[in-house]
Amino acid sequence: MISRRRWLQLLSSSGLGSALGPSGAWHAGPKSSARAARIHANSLPAFEGIPSAKSGISWTHVAGISPEMYMPETVGPGCAFLDYDNDGWMDIYLVNSGPCDFYTPPHPLRNALYRNNRDGTFADVTEKAGVAGNAYGMGVAVGDYDGDGLPDIYLTQYPHSILYHNNGDGTFTDVTAKARVAAPGWATSAVWFDYDNDGLLDLFVCRFVDFNKAKNIYCGYGAENKRWYCKPNVYTPMPCWLFRNNGNGTFTDVSKETGIAKSLAKAWGVVAADINNDGWMDLFVGNDTVPNFLFANRKGRFEEIGLLAGVGLSPFGLARSGMGVDAADYDQDGWIDLFVTNVDHETYSLYHNSKDETFSDAAPGSGIAATTKMMSGWGVKLFDYDNDGNVDLLLCNGHPDLMVEQRLQNVAYREKLLLFQNTGKGWKNVSAESGPIFSQELAGRGMAVGDFDNDGSLDVLLTQNDGAPVLLRNNAGRENHWLGLKLVGRKANIEAIGARVAYQAGDLLRHQWKVGGGSYLSSHDPRMVLGVGQRQKIDWLEVKWPNPCGKTERFTNLPVDRYITIVEGEGGWK
Amino acid sequence: MRGIMSNFLLRWPLPVFGILLATASVAGQAPPASSAAANSNVERAIDLATKGRCEEALPALKQTLSRPPGRGAGNEQTSGKQLEYRAAMAAAKCAMSLDQAQTAVNALFLLKRDFPHDPEVLYITTHYLSELATRASQELAHTAPDSYQAQELQAESFESQGRWAEAAAEYQKILNQNANVPGIHFRLGRVALSKGASEANTEEAKKEFEEELKTDPSNAAAEFSLGEIARRAGKWDEAIARFSTAARLDSGFAEAYLALGMSLASAQKFAEAVAPLEKYVKIVPDDPAGHYQLAIAYDRTGRKESAAKEMQLQREAAAKAPPSATSATPQ
Repeated sequence: MISRRRWLQLLSSSGLGSALGPSGAWHAGPKSSARAARIHANSLPAFEGIPSAKSGISWTHVAGISPEMYMPETVGPGCAFLDYDNDGWMDIYLVNSGPCDFYTPPHPLRNALYRNNRDGTFADVTEKAGVAGNAYGMGVAVGDYDGDGLPDIYLTQYPHSILYHNNGDGTFTDVTAKARVAAPGWATSAVWFDYDNDGLLDLFVCRFVDFNKAKNIYCGYGAENKRWYCKPNVYTPMPCWLFRNNGNGTFTDVSKETGIAKSLAKAWGVVAADINNDGWMDLFVGNDTVPNFLFANRKGRFEEIGLLAGVGLSPFGLARSGMGVDAADYDQDGWIDLFVTNVDHETYSLYHNSKDETFSDAAPGSGIAATTKMMSGWGVKLFDYDNDGNVDLLLCNGHPDLMVEQRLQNVAYREKLLLFQNTGKGWKNVSAESGPIFSQELAGRGMAVGDFDNDGSLDVLLTQNDGAPVLLRNNAGRENHWLGLKLVGRKANIEAIGARVAYQAGDLLRHQWKVGGGSYLSSHDPRMVLGVGQRQKIDWLEVKWPNPCGKTERFTNLPVDRYITIVEGEGGWK
Repeated sequence: MRGIMSNFLLRWPLPVFGILLATASVAGQAPPASSAAANSNVERAIDLATKGRCEEALPALKQTLSRPPGRGAGNEQTSGKQLEYRAAMAAAKCAMSLDQAQTAVNALFLLKRDFPHDPEVLYITTHYLSELATRASQELAHTAPDSYQAQELQAESFESQGRWAEAAAEYQKILNQNANVPGIHFRLGRVALSKGASEANTEEAKKEFEEELKTDPSNAAAEFSLGEIARRAGKWDEAIARFSTAARLDSGFAEAYLALGMSLASAQKFAEAVAPLEKYVKIVPDDPAGHYQLAIAYDRTGRKESAAKEMQLQREAAAKAPPSATSATPQ
C-alpha cells in the first residue's frame, strides 16, 4: 500500500505542491496592477543584462579550481555597490581569489573597483585606489566606520581579511593592523552595524570552518570514489568575530565577552536587524550543516535563540546548508521577517515573525519552497524592485559542486535567477516574464542591490564563481513613483543602520527598515528607495533614528522621483 | 526478473559456501570438535550441505532450527552458538536450492534473531528474501497472469523504474476491469505526483486520492496524501482534518501524527500540536523531526523545561541520523 516510514520525505521530493499557487495571504494592500503590462508594452524587460562591452566591466572572477578541490574555490565571490568618491553615483567593487597556501595564481589576480562614469559605463580605478586584495578573497562589507562621510571597505579573505580606509582622494589605505580586524581564518560575509548603541559602526565577521591546505579533506563519491567538493559537515566549525569600534580607528575583539564566540559556526551569510523591536540590533546568521544562528541582542550581549525561535533547523529537525540571508518586513505587520537560502533538496525558508522572538516558515504554501526545492541559493535580497510599495524577493542561485550533475538528477551546477513579486496578497514567481536574464543559467554567488543609474529603480549586481559578473538594469521601478533617501546619522550611527522609515502616500501606508548587510558576501547601496506606485505625492514621512538617538522626525512636502538627504536632527531634507 | 546479486549468490558452488560457513564472522575460529551425538549429526548435515547433498542434509538441519536459543554455558555455549549459526546458514542455503521457502524463511529469521548484527546474516537475508519475492512474482505471473494482482505488480515494477505512463496505463487496465479494486486510485495519484511538479499533476493526484476514498474510505494513505497537498498549499485546516482522519483510520501510522503536529504548529495551534507529537516521538524516538517539532510546541506553550529536554533529544537523534543521500562522503 504505502511506504509509510519515509512518506513525508517521499512526498517532499516528488514535487508535490510545486505548482500550488501562493496562498499565504497577509494583507490586501493597494497594488499597481497595470505595471507589468506597461513594461511589456514598452518592450523592456523588468531586468536587463548590461553587456560588459557596454558597461566597461571586463573583470572576471578566477576561482583557481584545482584537482584537490579546496572548498574556497567554489563558494566565492562577493560584490558591492558603493559610492567611494561621494559623487552621488554608485560605483562597483568586485572580489577575486588570490594567492594563499593552496593556490598560486599563474597570473596576478586582483579585485576590481569600477568608478561610475554617470553614463552607464564604468572605469577601472583599482590600481589608483589600492584595493586589489592580497589573499584569497571572499566578500565585502562597506561602511563608514570612522564617520568621515566616506565609505570604507572591509574585504573578507582566506586566511586573513583587510580593512581599507577611504582617504577621500580616490585612494584607500590598508589599516588592518592598526585597526586589529584581520580576523585570521576563513572569513566569509561581514556586516557593519552598531551592536552596543554607542553610535559607532561595529563589525561582525562570519567565519567558516577550520581550514587550511593541510586540513583539506578528500571527499569521494560512488564506486569510483571520484573526488567532489565536500559537504562541509566534514569540517570543524569555528566561532565568528565581533569587533567593537573604539572610535579612534581601532577595534576590540569582543567575540567572547558578548557571547558570539560561544556558538560554533559554519557561517556564510549575515544580516543585522532588530527582530524584536527592542531598539538593539540582532543578527541572523546562515550556517552550513550546523543550525542557523539568531543572536538576540540583550543590551550588548548576545543570546543565541535560533533553535527554539524556529529558524535554526529544517521542519524535520535537521541542520540545512544555510547560505545567504536577508531581513525585511514583507507583510508590513511591523515586525521584521527573515529569509535564508539553502541547497538542493532542502528548500529555502521565509521566516515570518510571530512577534515574540519566534518565527514560522511561510515558504511552504507560498510557492517559494516548492520552486526552490531542487535549487541552491546564495545571494538574496528582499527589496521593492517595482516600486509598488511591496517588498519583493530576488534570488541568485547555483550549486556549489561543479560535478553535481554527474551524481544527482534534476540538480544543476548553473541555475537561473528567481524573482518573486509580492502582490500584497502572496508571492508570484515572475521570473519567466521579467527578462531573458532569468532564462540564463549562472554559477551565481554574491548579489548586491543598488541604483547605479539613479533612476529610482534598484539595479542588481551579481557575481559568478569562476566567471564574469552580471550587471542588471532595472526597468520596472521607473514605471512607478518613488523617493530615494540618504539618511545620515549624527548621534545615531552615520549610516543610520537600524532606522525605521514610515511613509504615507494617499491610501498607501508603508514602512521600511534599514537593515545591515544581507545577501551573500555582498554589500548594497546604502540609500533607501520608497516606492509609492502610481501615487504622485508622499503625504508624510517619519524617520525613527536608531539608538542612541532613538528620536522620530516627521517630514512633509516631499518630492517624488528623486533622491533626498536627511540628516539626523536637522529637521529638513535637501 | 532475478537480481544479479541473488543469481550470483545462488550460483556459488556449495564447497565455496562451505568455506564461507567455516570462516563466517561469528565463528571467528575453527569449529570446535564436539562429542555430543546431536552435534555430530548436525556437523554431518553441514558437511553434506557443503558437498551439495542438500536433500540428505536438510532434515537434520531443520531440526536445529526448532531448538531453543541460548543453550549451554561458557565455551559450550559459544560452540553451540557457532554450530547453530553454521547449521542455520546451511539450512537457508539448502532450502533455497530445494525451493523450500518456508524452511528458508525460518532459517533466516533464526539467524536474524540470534545474530542480528552479523554482516553475513544481513547480506544473505537481503538476497534470499529478494529471491523469494522474485519467485513469488514469477509464480503469480505464471498461475494468474490476468489477475489484477499480476497487473498491479507489473504496474509497480514500471513505477519503480520511473516509467510513469506505463505504470498509469497498467493501473488503469485494472480499473477498466473492476472499478472497485481498492488501492488503485491511490497508486494512480502517487504516479501523478511522481510525473513531475505541475499544477495539473497535483490536481490529477488530488482527484485520484479522492476517488480512492470513495472506493475505500478506510485508506489512511489517501487521506494522508490529501493532507499533504493541503499542507503544502498552506491550507492548515484541511491538512489538520485529513491528517487527523489518517491517524484515526490507522493508529500505527506514525507519520500522520507528525504531519498533524506540524500542521497544527503551522496554524499556531501549539497546545493542540503537543499530543500528536508526543505520540509520534513515542513511536519513532530516533527521528529528530518529532523532537524538534515537539520542542517548539512545548516552548510556545510555556513548557520551557520540556522544550529544552526535547531539543537535547533532537540533537542526539540528529547526531545519529544517517548522512544525506545527496552528499558526498569523506574517504
